[in-house]
Amino acid sequence: MNALQERYAHAARTIRRTIIGMAERSRSPHVGSCLSCADVLAVLYEDWLRLDPWEQRDLFILSKGHGAMALYAALAYKGILDPALLDGYYQDHGTLPGHLDRSIGRGIEVSTGSLGHGFGLGLGLAYGLKKRRTGRRVVALIGDGEAQEGAIWEGALFAPRLGLDNFTGIMDCNNLQGYGRPQDLCQFEPMAAKFRAFGWQALEVDGHDHLAVRQALDVPSGGVPKMILARTVKGKGVSFMEDQLIWHYYIVTPAHAAKALEELS
Amino acid sequence: MRRRFVNALLDATAGRDDFMIISGDAGLGVFDDLRQQRPEAFLNLGIAEQNMASFGAGLALSGYKVVLYNIAPFVLYRCYEQVRNSICYMELPVVLVGTGCGLAYAPAGMTHYAVEDLGVARTIPGLTTLSPCDPMEARAAAAYALEADHPVYVRLAKTGEPELHAAPPADIRRPQVLRPGRDVGLVVHGPIAVEALKAAELLAAAHIDARVVSVPMVQPLDPAALAEALAGVRGVVSVEEQFCNCGLGSRLLMLAGQGLLPLPVRVLAIPDDGFIHHICTCQSMRTCFGLDAPAIADAARDLLA
Repeated sequence: MNALQERYAHAARTIRRTIIGMAERSRSPHVGSCLSCADVLAVLYEDWLRLDPWEQRDLFILSKGHGAMALYAALAYKGILDPALLDGYYQDHGTLPGHLDRSIGRGIEVSTGSLGHGFGLGLGLAYGLKKRRTGRRVVALIGDGEAQEGAIWEGALFAPRLGLDNFTGIMDCNNLQGYGRPQDLCQFEPMAAKFRAFGWQALEVDGHDHLAVRQALDVPSGGVPKMILARTVKGKGVSFMEDQLIWHYYIVTPAHAAKALEELS
Repeated sequence: MRRRFVNALLDATAGRDDFMIISGDAGLGVFDDLRQQRPEAFLNLGIAEQNMASFGAGLALSGYKVVLYNIAPFVLYRCYEQVRNSICYMELPVVLVGTGCGLAYAPAGMTHYAVEDLGVARTIPGLTTLSPCDPMEARAAAAYALEADHPVYVRLAKTGEPELHAAPPADIRRPQVLRPGRDVGLVVHGPIAVEALKAAELLAAAHIDARVVSVPMVQPLDPAALAEALAGVRGVVSVEEQFCNCGLGSRLLMLAGQGLLPLPVRVLAIPDDGFIHHICTCQSMRTCFGLDAPAIADAARDLLA
């Protein structure tokens, strides 16, 4: 493993351990959804997003706002968010809400939680930043369940004509939404072909392979927006949570947490 | 009215490169000059209102002053949650412009009326709402919306509304006295103000001196300014093309109940007992719902009797 891979692995492990701790303390849902996107966040925040100077930073939008713990963990890992705030996640008179509220401050670029909003917000942001020739980039992470929202497809239809090559969508395809698998509920696949047909550049990667994610992010977009389908596993990194529907909503008990942290040590 | 509003926006933003109007495939003819002279300031985002609202919020986040233009139900109802979460929750200074307010588009059908938009706007904290009564108030509303550092919803009628002011009001936030009078206050918002002015003439013939007050800023409503504008009259009749359960009239009743408007209030509005299936013009619709000048005059006489 080279130095970069080690850094990514360390970031991802730290983010996952933080998620488990927050989920246990808060007794809040969505731990599986947070674990599935931890590797993508590790790559983005470890070195892909240009965050310095802060005023000229690239912008990351967590459109699947129920993955808030993962974003809080990544921001705390990078020192963007005060780690002391993590203890108050989802608590009475707490510090961090269950879904994202921009007024919390640094690093929470937009408020999300209702699905399908962050994607269009990201497109508008990318359009404005491109129009101003800033060179700043926008990444919006959506869920595969979220891709059932009509608003996603409204945005998908218009973005290529606007030439938004500074926008990258990442779909966290963990293949489990609240009550089932996307493909069992609708004609979900072929998702990459759908985006290509809409005029996007679409790539598919193993969303837990850090270098593959990094490589997909680096592929030149060719003048159109890019959608990376990150094939992931819900609950990734904790054996008894992996690909289990219940871990969309299940509460992490101290016993669960102890076992999970042991696996993530 | 809508052309005056848009032109006021364009005049005020000439030379600015941080201003954009986004249309949801609406406003045929209204943006012709803009598209020719400043194509970079105009974007048609098609018939996709949810994306338009989120996209507009993102564009505002990147530093642009954004105006979203559409028929009222399509800028406020269709994308309600985007307006609530992406624009207002984040306190972004986006201007929502809805045309065809009230019954302006009759007989287009219920889908195209905005007779509950004040009620919808009322559920969104921080969404300033303007309902100009004529092209002059529309111009002042444009100036206000452009400078505002918060979300603003402006409801406009269509074209051809008469001018009721000689000049744009100096302070669009305040109630505007369109006609002085001592006996009864006729409180209106939007272009139905013309009916109130006609009613005042009918009342004058019966020796009742009616004051006509336009309330362009319906949200937030300043009770003190309203009480001041209505000082001295013996009662208030509110008139609006809005369901009675969610408009200005219901606000006045609430203020009266709270003791903030110590006057008897009579609300003339659209009954809230069903959808509108009448097939008739805006003018006939006003008559059907008891909102035309004779009905207003009757209500005022009744209130003072």
